[in-house]
Amino acid sequence: MTGDARPASHAPRRPAGAARPTRLRPLGQTIGHVGLALTVAFAGIALGAGYWQVLRSPDLSRAPDNPAVIAAARNVVRGTIVDRDGRVLASNKRSSATGEPYRVYADRAFSTVLGYASIDFGTAGLERSWAPELTGISNGDPIGDVLRKFRSDPYDPQKLTLGISSVLQRAAVAGLGNDRGAVVMLDPSTGEILALASTPTYDDGAIANPATSRDAFAAVRADPATPLLTRATQGLYVPGSVFKIVTAIAGLGSGRVTGSTTFPEQPQAERDGLLVGGFRVHEHPGVPSRSLDLAGATEWSSNIWYALAGLRTGGDNLASFAARMGFGRTLDFDLPTAASQVTNGGGSAPGGFADQTELANASYGQAQTQVTPLQMALVAATIANGGTLMKPHIVIATTGRDGTRTIAPTQLGVIIGATEAAAIAAAMQRAVESQIGSQFTTGAKVPGIPTAGKSGTAELGGSGAPHSWFIGFAPVGHPRIAIAVIVERGGRGGARAAPLAGDLMTLFFKTFGS
Amino acid sequence: MTAAAAPSLPSILGPIRPRPRGRESRLLALVAITIVVGSVSLELARRVTDPGQATGLSPANPLHLATYLGLIGTAHLVLILSGRRVDQVLLPATAMLGGISLLLMERLPQQLVSQTVGPWQLGLGDIQLGWLILSFGLAIAIAVTVRSDRWLRLYKYTWAAAGVALLVATYVFGDDINGQRLSLSIGPISGQPAELLKVILVVFLAGYLSEYRPLLVDESTRIGPISLPPLPFLTPMVAMWAIALGLVVVQRDLGAALLFFSVFLGLLYAATGRVGYVVVGVLLFLAGSWVLYHLVGTVQTRVDIWLDPFKSASGDGYQIVQSLYAFARGGLLGTGLGAGLPTIGGNLPIPAVHTDFPLAALGEELGLVGVTAILGLFLVVVERGLRIAASAADEFRSLLAAGLALVIGTQALIIAAGNLKLIPLTGITLPFISYGGSSLLVNGIIVGLLLALSDRGIEPPPPPRPRGRIARLTGRRTSAATPASGRAPIPDAAPVPLAAPRFDDVDRA
Repeated sequence: MTGDARPASHAPRRPAGAARPTRLRPLGQTIGHVGLALTVAFAGIALGAGYWQVLRSPDLSRAPDNPAVIAAARNVVRGTIVDRDGRVLASNKRSSATGEPYRVYADRAFSTVLGYASIDFGTAGLERSWAPELTGISNGDPIGDVLRKFRSDPYDPQKLTLGISSVLQRAAVAGLGNDRGAVVMLDPSTGEILALASTPTYDDGAIANPATSRDAFAAVRADPATPLLTRATQGLYVPGSVFKIVTAIAGLGSGRVTGSTTFPEQPQAERDGLLVGGFRVHEHPGVPSRSLDLAGATEWSSNIWYALAGLRTGGDNLASFAARMGFGRTLDFDLPTAASQVTNGGGSAPGGFADQTELANASYGQAQTQVTPLQMALVAATIANGGTLMKPHIVIATTGRDGTRTIAPTQLGVIIGATEAAAIAAAMQRAVESQIGSQFTTGAKVPGIPTAGKSGTAELGGSGAPHSWFIGFAPVGHPRIAIAVIVERGGRGGARAAPLAGDLMTLFFKTFGS
Repeated sequence: MTAAAAPSLPSILGPIRPRPRGRESRLLALVAITIVVGSVSLELARRVTDPGQATGLSPANPLHLATYLGLIGTAHLVLILSGRRVDQVLLPATAMLGGISLLLMERLPQQLVSQTVGPWQLGLGDIQLGWLILSFGLAIAIAVTVRSDRWLRLYKYTWAAAGVALLVATYVFGDDINGQRLSLSIGPISGQPAELLKVILVVFLAGYLSEYRPLLVDESTRIGPISLPPLPFLTPMVAMWAIALGLVVVQRDLGAALLFFSVFLGLLYAATGRVGYVVVGVLLFLAGSWVLYHLVGTVQTRVDIWLDPFKSASGDGYQIVQSLYAFARGGLLGTGLGAGLPTIGGNLPIPAVHTDFPLAALGEELGLVGVTAILGLFLVVVERGLRIAASAADEFRSLLAAGLALVIGTQALIIAAGNLKLIPLTGITLPFISYGGSSLLVNGIIVGLLLALSDRGIEPPPPPRPRGRIARLTGRRTSAATPASGRAPIPDAAPVPLAAPRFDDVDRA
């Protein structure tokens, strides 16, 4: 219908039109152009509609504030949530007053993972991020979603199976006790999360129960310990020495540093401090004044060696290897995550560091570096899995009326080679098992199983105890479990985090067999 | 029924002979079937998926459906009886759009709009049906009775003055709604004069541009490397720009401003064929927008919402985010009529769905397929209009028809693009579909005029007159102009549209 090009018949019919030296185009022609332009514009609108209705449809349709999701939550009895052994973590009851269904939860130890689903206060946690599956408006199958409208009952609530082990989760929460902190345990070869504890927990069942929801929600909101903040994924902490593993990955990965690299200036600097750009990097007391290699420096947790290694690796390498493991952005995960960072960025030095001093300090985790416990667990898992990072995930299967869909492990990337990973793993094993290393990582060793790890003591400035950190994995060689533990204000890494990690890994092997 | 067999009906309109309109009959049958199927589907959705009436669907009203089908049937019959050879596609295309509108308004909660007339309590569907009847009635009345364009052609400045007066009256006496003064009340009747202004604008522009067309392509003014036509003739361009800006500044009516300016540029290009005008116009528009963005709060808010509505998904960006959610829920095939628009506590997800966001609702329930079909229907209307323009007997009629088609096309584009977050949202109606009396009546006038203009039996245009001023200004053309008297006799044997294609031919093309 476009391009109505019949110029001759529509030329201006003026008596002497032909004689004019005018450049007037025939109206028929220009009107044809207008028609063409409008056709193109309408096609553009159709493409725009296609963008929203096809390309963006899956993610927008499951947005928590999409009315369809909210409406489904009110009309549908949500699917149950079970742990990896089939133990029910979330189920439903009916209100004796109104007959409306509401959620009941097995244990508040899971509250920071499951979140809550409340008629009055919306959703949080997995109840929020997996709401489309739990309420059955999506079963994760794009074709099924298209055909859903032809079903008589459009809702197909899914049962979620989590990778989480109730045993480990409860033990982790109990182990953190009254302290604030977090534990992340995952299978390094699949990325399945086995425990994701954050303390304090809260009573999500009370928020879900319409009879108590108002008071319970107000109490949780008013709690100064912010239990609604899932520390394991959203808490940002100074990492201290556990960050040295990131520096090692960047150093060995870039080839600037090897397992046998020694620094001649290191022994001297151990005594006097290392002068970088006018700032002196000091060692904690007790590190021997002899040339250390990677294993020795990890065993002794030498700040000077790691500062020198970081300077040799370069800010750009440190930043880019960290970014490949997820630093600098929120992770694609079942729960909302905070973005870990190596530096604030924006500096003029390579990698966004302000200067060499910041790089040197960041290399042992004390500059502007901030990490989430989940991110540090991924760092441990990268070494454990021979340098290959798997995508972490909590939900491992969904079950609806059409059967079970398993969520397959996916690889996030090869961060370093297996040889380099093995060198770092050996160093981390020394840090746990050698006579010297075990002084810093008391209690991290799993009896009878080769264990690797690194403790951290994050100095926060001012008075007060430091954060107590540990990351590690076991068994060395073919690891089945990787772990990150932080206890806020827990003291040295060896004081709180390392023994808790050792207990939890021991429990893992007791539960799942060695 | 053949023309020969039908008796001549004596009438004040002169002797008329019914003329069959086969193509229109077939298309209208298709339209009727589609609307009936839509109604049945809507009623089934209500009974099957929503027995508890949680979504607030009201029971189907067979009387409404029958009335609407009767309406388009009557319109068709009147065109047949009138014997005029007017376009056969416009009525089916607009009847389809109107039918979609009726289905949507029947499906939405009826209490969205309510009015008490005498003993009757009227809801959304009732009122929209009433406006559709008036709109199609007006369209057909104009199509049948208008046999001359003299009243439009000769009084272009009068029309322009009336338009400006209307604009001023709206500003002075208008009702203040949400900080905008867009509607004018006279007694019990209120309407939005900006809607009528669209038609007046096109009439004026068609008159002005057809008269001064040769001058606007002239390049007698040179500023450096740029050649411009005689400066006085750029006045309307600047005036249009000023009116558009004024609409924004004074009335906060971004949609009308954008529409007027786009239609103006489209017509200017059609008249002159000079891309340079469009480029300059767009640059002027961008410059004006930049200034307004920094000066006018409304403009800034709209643009900021457009850039990232999800940032304020529960605040300023709420409606557009909800619109995008609706499109997304629809997906490729849609949820089906009546199965979309989930309500929370009885509230619709998009409050202004019946006026500003009907396309989002249709996008959800009919899917991408439905949206594309609706856009296609608009394109059919536009292209029919442009076809009428291209084959009109003279330049005034050409530009008038093109302008009317542009108004419908551009308006649909602007609001559709706004709903889809392709451009900042402006509150204008989706032609033929949105709820609203002014909009429907003016669309009826436009369709009526297009139909009337498509009849090659319409009164022949007056012969071109030489204009003293043109002759003076262009100098070299003096010899070309018809001498003195100003009214060259029309050759008896040859009605002016010599080579204009017959519409019957076009129909078969």
